[in-house]
Amino acid sequence: MISNALCFGNEFPASGAPCVVQVEGDGLTIIFESEGTEGAREVILFSALTVSAGGLDHDHLVVKWAHALGERTLYLKNHDVIRAFRQAAPDQLNAPFEQAAERVRQVRQRHRVLWAAVGGSILALVLGLWFGADLLVEVAVSRIPVEWEQKLGDSAYRDFLAHQEVMKEGPAVTALGEMTQRLTEQIPNNPYKFEVTVVKSDVVNAFALPGGHVVVFTGLMKKADSGEEVAGVMSHELNHVLQRHGLERIVKSLGLMTAVAIVLGDQQGLVGMMKQVGVELLTLKFGREQETEADVKGLQLLQRAKIDPSGMIKFFERLSEKDEGRMEWLSTHPMSTARAERLKAELAALPKKSPEPFTFEWKQVQASLGSQPVVAP
Amino acid sequence: MKSEILYPGAFPMVRVDLAAGESIKAESGAMVACSPTIDIESKMEGGFLGALSRKFLTGEKFFFQTLRASRGSGEVLLAPTVPGEIVILELDGVNEYMVQKDGFLAGADAIVIESKMQSLSRGLLGGEGFFILKISGKGTLVLNSFGAIHKIELKPDQEYIVDNSHLVAWSATTSYNIEKATSGWVASFTSGEGFVCRFRGPGLVYIQSRNPGSFGAWIRQFIPVSE
Repeated sequence: MISNALCFGNEFPASGAPCVVQVEGDGLTIIFESEGTEGAREVILFSALTVSAGGLDHDHLVVKWAHALGERTLYLKNHDVIRAFRQAAPDQLNAPFEQAAERVRQVRQRHRVLWAAVGGSILALVLGLWFGADLLVEVAVSRIPVEWEQKLGDSAYRDFLAHQEVMKEGPAVTALGEMTQRLTEQIPNNPYKFEVTVVKSDVVNAFALPGGHVVVFTGLMKKADSGEEVAGVMSHELNHVLQRHGLERIVKSLGLMTAVAIVLGDQQGLVGMMKQVGVELLTLKFGREQETEADVKGLQLLQRAKIDPSGMIKFFERLSEKDEGRMEWLSTHPMSTARAERLKAELAALPKKSPEPFTFEWKQVQASLGSQPVVAP
Repeated sequence: MKSEILYPGAFPMVRVDLAAGESIKAESGAMVACSPTIDIESKMEGGFLGALSRKFLTGEKFFFQTLRASRGSGEVLLAPTVPGEIVILELDGVNEYMVQKDGFLAGADAIVIESKMQSLSRGLLGGEGFFILKISGKGTLVLNSFGAIHKIELKPDQEYIVDNSHLVAWSATTSYNIEKATSGWVASFTSGEGFVCRFRGPGLVYIQSRNPGSFGAWIRQFIPVSE
């Protein structure tokens, strides 16, 4: 027979003596199987018993009775035996049984409530962080001085230039200089010193680094049909800098990574992560909201600078239609008709201003880039 | 299956003699040496989810190793990672033991190992984490400790107070409450005890004579700072 209970008493080992409990009509029969008490049998009448709940999780039924050698305690866990016991037990044991059951229910209920409370507060914390993250990022970013931002941008800029060929002079540089000047003149209280660099590369791309470095690839200029189109991209990128979007992304991703590193207990990784920031800057992708903000503010800036804003929209639309060459700018600036539509609506809402043309001839600028071979006379 | 503790004391080892076809499960990495008749299998005890929960919840190893005497009888030598005593328990099929996460070394194939969630206060303050191992079934169970293992035998309703980080294993018939070591909060921590467990019998409580956390804190001061 397999033991289904443990009996404790003065003459038994502290871990209890395994025994078989059988429920009879008028009491319990306990058959001991442990050595020394081989086959020993004890019959206890229901009238001599008390019952309660016990054990680590209050999931044992504890039965006590007086014995010649001192008090005996029985720990029952087998559900079938407990059920049979309860059915056979006389009325006077009903109340203690009910109390024991109530105690088990109470303990379980308390555990459930506590766990629900803890689960709930963890969930609340996560949700709070999730939705409050933008606000936290904004506060953190607003506390970072512009000089830090510039240093961060400078180091990333130097890293980037190490592998690139820069166009130092020529009509393209002059043209971009004119655009930048016309745009920046319209920025009130500008804390940034914008520097535009032209990089010789067929990649259709342009990006801005925190602190004011704007990089335009010759590929993008070759792709553009007019100076206004490039100015549109410039205006968009300048606004990424002005709205400190780069910094926001860094704080956000760093914050997330820091949290992950802390959770995983990886301090070494944290240091490595800090070093990673410079690299991160170059592959920075802005969020959808940041893009929209840069679009709208860019459009307003163009308007103030009296540069035809439709160039910006046209360029965006053209880029979204065709997928020619390596349009890096697209991968970081996903185009959609919705985006162009939004800009058109935004433009319609702005007061009309008569645009002033640039002093350069765009075709000549492009020719200097070598995109359209100059036909020899 | 027969097991014997070799070199009792700080650096013991267990020798388990397996008859042909018998097997034993052990903590992954516990095998030191074995007869060529023994096959070592890696097994996710309790299935993938069971193993996963054991790994993430109790911090125990994902895989247990099963050492099987598949090509005839043989012996296996097992040892824990940390210096400390080993104790061999014979589970009778009725007694169940709760084991803190580092306490399990090996067990007969018939014993059942589960991860069990503790109550909130025990999990938060008990020092063993929210999840512990619940070991039941019939057969040999080998536990290891940090330091020496001391067995406390509790009669019904007898109480005993144990510093929570010294716990190794305790039987399911005991119950315990977490309480402050002294009546005041500040004194509780300045006394160096913080929280203690008040155990109530009947049953057995196995404790270890050294506190791994304190030892870690003590040894940290001697570790040269890299970089």
